[in-house]
Amino acid sequence: MKKVLEGSHAVAEAVRLAKVQVISAYPITPQTHIVEILSDYVTTGKMDAKFLRVESEHSCLAALIGAQSTGVRSFTATSSQGLALMHELLHWASGARLPIVMAEVNRALAPGWNIWSDQTDSLAQRDTGWMQLYCEDAQEVLDTTILAYRLAERVNLPAMVVLDAFFLSHTYEPVDIPSPEDVDRFLPPYVPAFILDTAHPCSLSPLVTPNAYLEMRYDIATAMEDALEAFVAVDGEFADIFGRRYGAVEEIAGSDADTIFVTSGTVTSTARMAVEELRARGEKVGALKIKLFRPFPVEAVRRALAKAKKVIVVDRNFSFGASGIFAQEVRAALCNLPGHPPVFGYIAGLGGRDITTKMLLDIYFEVKRSDMPVQDSIWVGLQEVNRAT
Amino acid sequence: MEAPIPLKNILYMPRTSTTTEMNKTGSWRFLRPRYEEKTSPCSAACPAGEDIARIEMLITQGAFKEAWETILLENPLPGVCGRVCYHPCEGKCNRREFDAAVAVHTMERFLADAAARNETKPALPRQPATGRKIAVIGSGPSGLSAAWFLNLLGYEAEVFEAMPAPGGMLRWGIPAYRLPEAVLNREINRIVDQGVSIKTGETVSAGRFEEMRKSYDAIFLGCGYWRDRHLNIPGEDGPGVEDGLSFLREIRSGVKRKVPGLAAVIGGGNTAIDVARSVIRQGGQAVIIYRRRRDDMPAFAEEVQSALEEGVELRELLAPVEITAVGPDCLLTLQPMQIAGRDRDGRGKIAPAAAPPIQITVQRVFTATGAEAAASWYNPTAGGAPETGVIFSHCRLHADGRGAPVVYGGDLTTADKNVTQAIASGKQAALALDIFFRHGADAIEERLAPCRVGNGPSLSLEIYIGGRRKERNAHIVTYGEINTDYFQYEARIVQPRLLIEERHASFDEIELKISAHTAMREAGRCFNCGICNACDNCYLFCPDVSILRARDMTDRRINYDYCKGCGLCVVECPRNAMTLDEEETS
Repeated sequence: MKKVLEGSHAVAEAVRLAKVQVISAYPITPQTHIVEILSDYVTTGKMDAKFLRVESEHSCLAALIGAQSTGVRSFTATSSQGLALMHELLHWASGARLPIVMAEVNRALAPGWNIWSDQTDSLAQRDTGWMQLYCEDAQEVLDTTILAYRLAERVNLPAMVVLDAFFLSHTYEPVDIPSPEDVDRFLPPYVPAFILDTAHPCSLSPLVTPNAYLEMRYDIATAMEDALEAFVAVDGEFADIFGRRYGAVEEIAGSDADTIFVTSGTVTSTARMAVEELRARGEKVGALKIKLFRPFPVEAVRRALAKAKKVIVVDRNFSFGASGIFAQEVRAALCNLPGHPPVFGYIAGLGGRDITTKMLLDIYFEVKRSDMPVQDSIWVGLQEVNRAT
Repeated sequence: MEAPIPLKNILYMPRTSTTTEMNKTGSWRFLRPRYEEKTSPCSAACPAGEDIARIEMLITQGAFKEAWETILLENPLPGVCGRVCYHPCEGKCNRREFDAAVAVHTMERFLADAAARNETKPALPRQPATGRKIAVIGSGPSGLSAAWFLNLLGYEAEVFEAMPAPGGMLRWGIPAYRLPEAVLNREINRIVDQGVSIKTGETVSAGRFEEMRKSYDAIFLGCGYWRDRHLNIPGEDGPGVEDGLSFLREIRSGVKRKVPGLAAVIGGGNTAIDVARSVIRQGGQAVIIYRRRRDDMPAFAEEVQSALEEGVELRELLAPVEITAVGPDCLLTLQPMQIAGRDRDGRGKIAPAAAPPIQITVQRVFTATGAEAAASWYNPTAGGAPETGVIFSHCRLHADGRGAPVVYGGDLTTADKNVTQAIASGKQAALALDIFFRHGADAIEERLAPCRVGNGPSLSLEIYIGGRRKERNAHIVTYGEINTDYFQYEARIVQPRLLIEERHASFDEIELKISAHTAMREAGRCFNCGICNACDNCYLFCPDVSILRARDMTDRRINYDYCKGCGLCVVECPRNAMTLDEEETS
């Protein structure tokens, strides 16, 4: 059934369809609409779930770790400072192998106090052992949330569904809401790998000596590797039932491209328009949308970019002292590939500034004029500010 | 039983079934929290030492009977005190610093009214009978109080009252608009039901008094101050001049007499106010003549305020020097006074001003400048009284071995002459006599001391008989010790009152009833300073699950095997019912 939904509500619909049993969250813009409607579902009986009110995001994730440990499906949503506050427990959730799913609405970190879109918050958590799936539109948000449960529960790792603040979270789009029966077919009830059970009391994750810690970490690494294959399988099952397939990466008009834009999130839609316009002008250009960031689909990225002459990565994020984070990952994926194309890193749209088609066209022609990048990151659209005040 | 959850056993996840109870984290502790109830400032300020913080808590829980009984253990007259007490409790209420004091007196009256409406019979602990018989002379508040507490302590109390009905000043001195007769009768009937016998119309002469000293084991003398003090000015015995207390007594006796025209009431105490307001209700007008200022008046401020609202005029700094009869009227000559420094009691000291005397014409004059004992032998310091007296804050014991010991109480011995102090006096006398019989006169002071509420002088029967209140620390909880994070601003109850116009027409009670719902809400404003109201903050905040609750949730204990002494429970206790001590090092 098609409905015009706000991106936030697309998440909520997916959580309802996934029959999540425990929800906890602490309000933070731009995430709040998600849990607002979920709390309404719980109160009005539209969902048979518990909604735990907490005093912070830290407590929120701690509560969900406890809940999920008893063998139930759980959900939370957060943004920016809230996600940063969860940092300690992000490690715990993955280390404890709990397939918690979180909606992460990309918002800039303070200061300056800024509620608009910026990916640095989620990308800064790339080493916490959470899978990360970036979305381009509201339909993808809904689908990815359902898919994330299937994937997470298959590999016993937590997953973040990542969506851009406002561009996605607060924008209304037509969304096809799947039937509960179809979702049930795709997503069977949660079968935990272990549970806390009062009938057989035990405590999980006690002191672990150097004798076993290395193996525990190795298990997580292996699970992350398995997740790459699992994603392909789950994505296929999803397509079989719902007719939509996303792929870990998506190549856009790229088979013969000399120059390929690498994008994620809603910037991909802008890149689609830029590619269309440039193709019309006879430019051999394509784009690569990266949906799955953790685990990073190295092989798929290599396959897509190997034949290109130049790669442009547009990052709405930045790692200070290094470069755009997607650019780093793409460089790392290509570096052992003999004769790989040079990677041009561009930084744009931080703190919610618009990334326009024209901006991408300008980048393209600048790259076209250059043989090699002169620096790792070029900041796009810097303006004069009065530094005296 | 639920079906077991199927598990996929593919993960290595370290776990242990060893109970963490092995790790007795209590050994880490260097601070030790404990439950320790403390004293609320209101209860220490109450002359009767009522356990107010607990009473308000019980009201909040809807336990009206228990709350009423909690009062009765310390004060036999809640229906009276809820109406006429000057409620010093509210003056010390910690909530004053937050928004406004809890309306404690309104709650007290509510409980008494609710008990009357429901015809509740109190179940109070009575000590085993001692076989001793005590005569109580005077059935005013001190006598009733002494008889009540003696009864609870196992004595047979017989009250002798000269007037045709019991109550003393409560019946004859306080106007009905403040204390309706039915309320007083109810209170006295309950005291009689408890086992106190009251003989009315029995005047005790000096001779009979001496006889009684042979036939009773002890005598409590609480016959009050009934004789108006003289003004000692020319014309005070002339026509048109009446004594205020007699006027009040006449009204309470049912005599309907109009007092048209303007009446001057001389005095600044509660009797002066009562007389002036009664004049208004008898169709007259009243002007109070007071030689000091309004702020110096011994009358309760709220009474003064009510009198002014009802149209009573107050003329300050005027001392009467002469009353002259002029036809049917009285010509009152008044000397203007001025403030000259301070008196020993803190009030303004007065001296005649340089201005010449003024004269006003009134239709009658009422004197109300204080009273004294009706017979000189009533006074503990009277010539015939032996020198063996033991003086306490509210009473005086004479035990010379020439007969039964005598305790003087009520107005005869209290510094402040009012109902609640008289009740305190009767209670102190009863406790003192009990100690006297058990341990001798020398033990009284020492054994009364631990029964003090806070710093005293209020005494608690519950503490004396070893009730739970005995466990309380005498420390009086301060506002700073209340964790106000747990309280919200809420307006104090406004008790409905008769309109001014309605008051002019009758002696109907001015303050009207409140609903149980309103009472519970007002009682809910109480911080319950120093006492546990089972809010369970300690339980909720304890990070070591070391607060153990009894199955019925009434009792809480700390499991010191695991309490690490973090002190969270003590900090989060909103009302200072817990204490944190340094752990003793072994």
